[in-house]
Amino acid sequence: MEESTRRLRTLDFFMGIGFAVIGLYVAVDGFRAFISPDLSTVERPSNPGVTTMFIGGMLALLGLIIAIIGFRGSRTPFRKATEVIRETLRKRTFLKGLIALACIAVYFFVFWGRIPYVISTFIFLAGIMFIFKAGAWWKIFIISGVTVAIVWYVFGVLAMVPLP
Amino acid sequence: MSFEQILMEVLKTLNLEFIVLIASGTLIGLIVGALPGLTTTMGIALLTGITFKFSGHAAIALLMGLYVGGVSGGSLSAIMIGIPGTPANAASILDGFPLALAGKGAKAITVSRSASVLGTLFGIMCLAFFTPILSNLALKFTSAEFCLLGLFGVLISGTMTGADLAMKGWIAGIFGLTIAMIGIDELTAWHRLTFDSPELTGGLPFIPIMIGFFGIPQVVESLSAEQEVLVAALDKSKTRLMEVLRHWKVALRAGLIGVGIGIIPGIGEDVAAWVSYGVAKKASKHPEEYGKGSIEGLVAAETADNSCIGGAIIPLLSLGIPGSPPAAVLLGAFMIHGVRPGPMLSFEFPAFLYQSVAWLLVATLFMRFMALGLARPMQKILTIKNAILMPIVAVLCAIGAFSLDIRYIDIILVFFSGVLGILFRKGKYPPAPLVLGIILGPLVDTNFRRALKASNGDFSIFVTRPVSLVLLLSIVLLILGQLGAFAAIKSRLTRTKQST
Repeated sequence: MEESTRRLRTLDFFMGIGFAVIGLYVAVDGFRAFISPDLSTVERPSNPGVTTMFIGGMLALLGLIIAIIGFRGSRTPFRKATEVIRETLRKRTFLKGLIALACIAVYFFVFWGRIPYVISTFIFLAGIMFIFKAGAWWKIFIISGVTVAIVWYVFGVLAMVPLP
Repeated sequence: MSFEQILMEVLKTLNLEFIVLIASGTLIGLIVGALPGLTTTMGIALLTGITFKFSGHAAIALLMGLYVGGVSGGSLSAIMIGIPGTPANAASILDGFPLALAGKGAKAITVSRSASVLGTLFGIMCLAFFTPILSNLALKFTSAEFCLLGLFGVLISGTMTGADLAMKGWIAGIFGLTIAMIGIDELTAWHRLTFDSPELTGGLPFIPIMIGFFGIPQVVESLSAEQEVLVAALDKSKTRLMEVLRHWKVALRAGLIGVGIGIIPGIGEDVAAWVSYGVAKKASKHPEEYGKGSIEGLVAAETADNSCIGGAIIPLLSLGIPGSPPAAVLLGAFMIHGVRPGPMLSFEFPAFLYQSVAWLLVATLFMRFMALGLARPMQKILTIKNAILMPIVAVLCAIGAFSLDIRYIDIILVFFSGVLGILFRKGKYPPAPLVLGIILGPLVDTNFRRALKASNGDFSIFVTRPVSLVLLLSIVLLILGQLGAFAAIKSRLTRTKQST
């Protein structure tokens, strides 16, 4: 089996377990609704737990199958995962992706609602463009400024969205 | 409603305001489609946030323009830089880019444009003809059929769109159905999977999930990749429509494949283009020219992905089941604007189908003339660095989701859907079944329970009606086929034959 396929199967093993756990939780939530005394007046076929039990059960089963396929394909999923994680952490593309995601997280969770929209968006745009070397500083400032002005005008003025 | 009344309703939505909106939608679509990383699905999701204050029909007309423009816009970058603007145009690279490198870029663009026009027109024709038929048929459907149709859609989409194992497509679809279960149950007002959070009681809104799921992974991926773009020079050569019509057999076959694949829930333009390209190559007298700049190959790919637009809207309008991922987001936009597609649509909005046909026709017209004019400016736009474009996309993702309901939770949802999207990409889980699962969740859920209630909990309701029996058998065969049951039976039969 090719190395890339083994790596994919390792990920399949962990994602399969994840899906199986989620499916199990959904099925249990459905079962709780199915036996809940609060829903005793509702006819059994109309019980909201019926579909969730069915869907959760299917997700758990398929997740388990994928995990088994992953385990068989990867052979040593835990050792392989450690190896892949170590390698990935050293990759330039991964670090760049992580920085991009972190910038977005800061903009969404720290800036949003705490700093006025126009200022926070300008800081985010200029900052991320600086980090990813989009061009000369004055170009970045102009592009960020013009973008913020357009977004503010289209959403804040034309669409009358109360910007944070 | 009489023919005159329908005509009046159609004309009412073809005034200057609508024409300008459709033209703007098509132009935005062409640009969004042409920029690698910005897909038609993402464009529709983002623009839905902007258009939520428009009148319902005006917003839908704009989004339909974007759909038409987006699918054909992707071919511009496929031809000029060898990177498909949208997955729908990936097959166009094989012959479009070699043509451009050989100094026939303008010819490739005009061929692709003419093929797009032919394909879209064919799709629209099928839309106008088949939607009323399917709507009338759907009126006879009961809850059992609707439930199985929804499940079939999710599973077939999972089977056809998976790049790795078909089972991953099924998981994606069922995970989408699970997401759709979150919130208060429509029939009993019971809180499902809400973790007692008041924000989750209304369920998870579809558009912010779509924006995050498609937008954030693209931003992260594009910013982390090293960018090197080679833009092919454009010549002055052009191709007349008649030259494309010389390949009418290829175009007709591609149109039929596109519409056929479009009608199947959740599969979409990319599969249509690849299938059509493969079939055309097999049927061609000169298969050796394919991949080296064959006009036939380009016609096959471009006609199929564009005819798929009409095909994907057929089940959307008649059954409320989208035929492709962009059509699924379009369905979300329809609902936001008070239009609920399905068999009852022809009673609630009798002229809507014909209005849609008219909007799509106008968009096709604009697409025809805008595309070549846009080719030269696009040469510059395509060289824009990802480091400039992608942060702007991230800002649009946030404000697009926020503007729908002015809720901070939607921003959080965009982020976590984005993380989920990244995981799905890494694990090679196709996105289309997830989209379809979320959109079809309520249909599957309510109809499953209604069917069981009508039969007093007897599951035989799913096999006693002919349509539901056919659908159930299709689902079973689909699953068995993917699990290798048929291959095992075949090998056993061969062994038995050999031993006797």
